[in-house]
Amino acid sequence: MNPVIETKNLSKWYGNVLGLSDVFLQISSGITGLLGPNGAGKSTLLSLITGQIKPSIGSVSLLGERIRNNYPLLARIGYCPERDSFYEEMTGWQYLTGLLKLGHFSSSQIESLAEKALDIVELVEDKHRVIRSYSQGMRQRLKFAQAIAHNPEVLILDEPLNGLDPLGKRKLISLIKSYRQKEKTVLVSSHVLPEIEALTQQIILIHQGKIFAQGDIHYIRDLLETHPHKISIRCSHPRKMASEFIHKPYVLKVSFGTSQDSLIVETNNRDGLFSIIPSLSVKNNIQIDEITSPDDNLQAVFDYLVGK
Amino acid sequence: MIHIKKGQISFYWKSVKDVFSFSFSLGKRTKRTRVFYLLSFLPVVMALVIKFAQYFYGRTDIQGIYIFSNIIMMFYLQFLILLLALFFGSSVCLDELEGKTLTYLTTRPVPKPAIILGKYAAYSVLIVLMTGAGVVFSFLILNCENLGDVSLYKILLRDISVLCLGLISYASFFTFLGTFLKKSVMVGLIFGFGWENVVQYFPGSTQKFTIAHYLKSLLPSLNTGRFSFLLFRLEPTSPQAAVGMLFLITGFFLVLACVIFSFKEYLFED
Repeated sequence: MNPVIETKNLSKWYGNVLGLSDVFLQISSGITGLLGPNGAGKSTLLSLITGQIKPSIGSVSLLGERIRNNYPLLARIGYCPERDSFYEEMTGWQYLTGLLKLGHFSSSQIESLAEKALDIVELVEDKHRVIRSYSQGMRQRLKFAQAIAHNPEVLILDEPLNGLDPLGKRKLISLIKSYRQKEKTVLVSSHVLPEIEALTQQIILIHQGKIFAQGDIHYIRDLLETHPHKISIRCSHPRKMASEFIHKPYVLKVSFGTSQDSLIVETNNRDGLFSIIPSLSVKNNIQIDEITSPDDNLQAVFDYLVGK
Repeated sequence: MIHIKKGQISFYWKSVKDVFSFSFSLGKRTKRTRVFYLLSFLPVVMALVIKFAQYFYGRTDIQGIYIFSNIIMMFYLQFLILLLALFFGSSVCLDELEGKTLTYLTTRPVPKPAIILGKYAAYSVLIVLMTGAGVVFSFLILNCENLGDVSLYKILLRDISVLCLGLISYASFFTFLGTFLKKSVMVGLIFGFGWENVVQYFPGSTQKFTIAHYLKSLLPSLNTGRFSFLLFRLEPTSPQAAVGMLFLITGFFLVLACVIFSFKEYLFED
């Protein structure tokens, strides 16, 4: 399958400051999370992908076409910027219909598209209020509405969950996730790990302008062979289980969890450990209640990758 | 090939129209527009005061059209159109940068030059309407006894045309400055109230490096009393050449603004 977004050797300098370095990416349809701390180069990458800035080196293509100065292609992209900036004197309705007008739609199309987008973000009742009077959550939803209003094939969302309350976040997360079913391509950036985890398993890790890893969270985890994996096992006889594990060469450390029925095993061979658990369970008559990997989340992978 | 070119032209034209419509709707809501709208009605207040004073003191020797010409020269030509063109022209690009809203425009399917041309056109119409309203009202008040005199309307039409030419040419220059410089308002003030107000009185052809020279070339050398020096010009340009030059200046700076805006990368300061 052809990638929807492709970057080759993409680099960007702001004078002597490196914004992005040698980025090769292939992003297919579905939701992809772009994760990195503030100043990692996320917004620079998204600005390059949407053609707002010119690469110093390398190229970007979107839907098989170059993006820079390709104005008709912009009709197929929805972009939600990170900054909380609006035309404050306009009402939500005027803002949305005005921006749709720039998409060259007819008046009747504009009205129906704006109405639909406002309905999706639940702002219909407040559409005639000036944006200045909107709450932070409403502003964020309005910004999202302008990105989706023209029904784009590709959605680029720069920190869309910033400033939202938990309920607002949950709503927007489920909204973004609904685009996966519509077979759209969504690239969403965040510096908050649980946000990305809630949205997708497909991630790109970025730090100091460089891509550290790209792929499924488990795939990335597997890349880190030297990094010890933590496996938490909740079972009927944790001490007996621990004594079995302790002799295995790929088990680095065994400790007991906060609850009396759990133990945590650190290993550098996760597959090997998983393969012996059933036989040990049968041999020692131990009932296994739950196996989890506490550090199989983005935070652990990210911390390890950036050397924190 | 011709078909493609026609398609491109119609795409550009449609983009300019759409940006115009969006920017006009946006521009008329801003606080700046309200402030300058009030300011543009200052001559109307002046005209009312003068008229009342004439009635109270019984001084009817000074003709209304004479006072009107002075207002055009002193207030509009030397002050208001410069100020309007400066603040609206430079804000074509600067507003979007300072408000960090430029992204909304540059991620739409509109060519970058169309953004500049559409916004410039919208703001030009706004400032022309502001100026025109004030001029017409002050004309009507100052000439209320001679409203049947058709020749006076010719003067009104000529003066409005000159002011419109001044607005579009100054606005194009300030639009260029706004796309090019961060401190464009400061540079614009120095240009408008420094260069323009000083160099236009230089002898020889140096005065032709000012927009004011061409605007004044379109106005008759009326005896404006103690302000007559404002019309002083050593080498007047013919009206046709002056109009041509003003359009040339407008076109030149607009093209320059479009080119800069298309190639320059605007970075927001967070």
